[in-house]
Amino acid sequence: MQRNSAAEAATPKIQLLGASRDFEARGRRVQALQPIDLSVKKAEFVALVGPSGCGKSTILNMVAGLLGPTQGRVAYDGQPIAGLNRKVGYMTQKDTLLPWRDVASNIGVALELKCRPMPRADAATKVAQMIELVGLKGFEHHYPSELSGGMRKRVALARTLIYEPETLLMDEPFAALDAQLRLVMLDQLQFLTRLRKMTVLFVTHDLGEAITLADRVVVMSARPGRIRAIRNVPIQRPLDVFKARFSPEFASLHEALWDELKDEVTKGTDL
Amino acid sequence: MATQALAAGDRMIGVWRVVVALSIPLVWEAAGRLSGSPWVSTPGLVGLRLLAWASDGLVFHITTTIEEIATGLALGSTCGVLCGLALGRMRVLAGILRPIIVALYSVPLISLAPLFIMLFGLGQMPQIVLVSIVVFFLIFFNTFAGAESVDEDLIRALHLMGASRTEVFRKVIGPASVVWIIGGLKVALPYALVAATTGEMLGSRGGIGFLLNNAAQQFDMTSLYAALVILMALGILTSGSATRLETWLLRWRHAAQ
Repeated sequence: MQRNSAAEAATPKIQLLGASRDFEARGRRVQALQPIDLSVKKAEFVALVGPSGCGKSTILNMVAGLLGPTQGRVAYDGQPIAGLNRKVGYMTQKDTLLPWRDVASNIGVALELKCRPMPRADAATKVAQMIELVGLKGFEHHYPSELSGGMRKRVALARTLIYEPETLLMDEPFAALDAQLRLVMLDQLQFLTRLRKMTVLFVTHDLGEAITLADRVVVMSARPGRIRAIRNVPIQRPLDVFKARFSPEFASLHEALWDELKDEVTKGTDL
Repeated sequence: MATQALAAGDRMIGVWRVVVALSIPLVWEAAGRLSGSPWVSTPGLVGLRLLAWASDGLVFHITTTIEEIATGLALGSTCGVLCGLALGRMRVLAGILRPIIVALYSVPLISLAPLFIMLFGLGQMPQIVLVSIVVFFLIFFNTFAGAESVDEDLIRALHLMGASRTEVFRKVIGPASVVWIIGGLKVALPYALVAATTGEMLGSRGGIGFLLNNAAQQFDMTSLYAALVILMALGILTSGSATRLETWLLRWRHAAQ
């Protein structure tokens, strides 16, 4: 544990250097992501916003090791990512719950793996805590098919958080939630990621969500994606997610980000 | 009100079901008595024959057939599931072996019965082999389709959590294929009964198929109908147990209803 913290702080947790990505569709090469540079420090929370199809999910897939960059380099802890990156917890847009497992055993699945040896009783305690945290008490033995979209998202969130991955990749995790529940979940996510000093790369369509959670907001342009602007969020943390959106700093940052984003959104729609 | 009407409708269907089920043997009995023909026989005579058999080897014949089906099912489905899972997840191997398996499957399997009787004699072995092969193919094709169609996102999600290949197999590919395996099993069960009795009819010393063939050779219609009644009961029993097994194994699917 007592490593050289200065050196550790100097190496970015996640680093994209001139990383681009092309896709082949119907025999045509389409560039989804122009070469981009982006560094995320340890314990930093970075939000990616941008129009649909700007390559936000592609960035997450590259950091998770599901995709390699066409050009450039994607590094994690200073090492190029080769194969799946098992240091990250990835909450994809689609919830990938196992339909034959109930809520409790879906949440606990990561604790059953050999790479994380843990006595059954301890695992069960952690699962119970997680279920409480995401507000699913009483639904332990329901199957995913019996849950609403929002509840399934919460199961997916709990399943990712329970094994405390050092880095979280989240792709619009709260898109399916209603506005009130979303605030509750934002609050919980802020609390957990700060408590466990997680590094987070968070894709969202919602500027408010990005400002509420992130230390830095990256605005991306329409396809082919590139970084249009990066803004620091100068708001004191931890903040009250329920009240933050009524503060003047929040409003002015929201406006500034929206100015960057709006041209891209209109460009994105005629594609 | 609506549920009451529905319940009344259900009750009416139930009543009519009993009426129709009872009227079939009644019509048969009447036809047999009026015609007096030994070809028609009557349910009464069939019942008496079953009673007579009960104290004279019926248990032996039934257990013979059930043993053949059970052993064949165990062997055939184990091999079918293992090969289906393996080939479903190994594209290269599947590319090589699948056409060969399809070619083998296009032989009408029942026509192999004489071959097995010559190879394995008149005991239970030919039937066991025949049932195993029939069950193997049906379960194999279903399991293969299941293993091939497992949601890749689920597999990736488990890998990202740190699951090994074996763990992904045990926790994702296996359970995801259960739906398909059960589907194959439901199709395979009636075919297993067909395979066992066909083998017995062609040459054996016991089993319901043996009883059936024996009766036919002696033009003993009452015994023949009695054997068919037993086969029908066995058929109902096997498909009924398959449905129960399915409901239990796939309870996560029915949960939403």
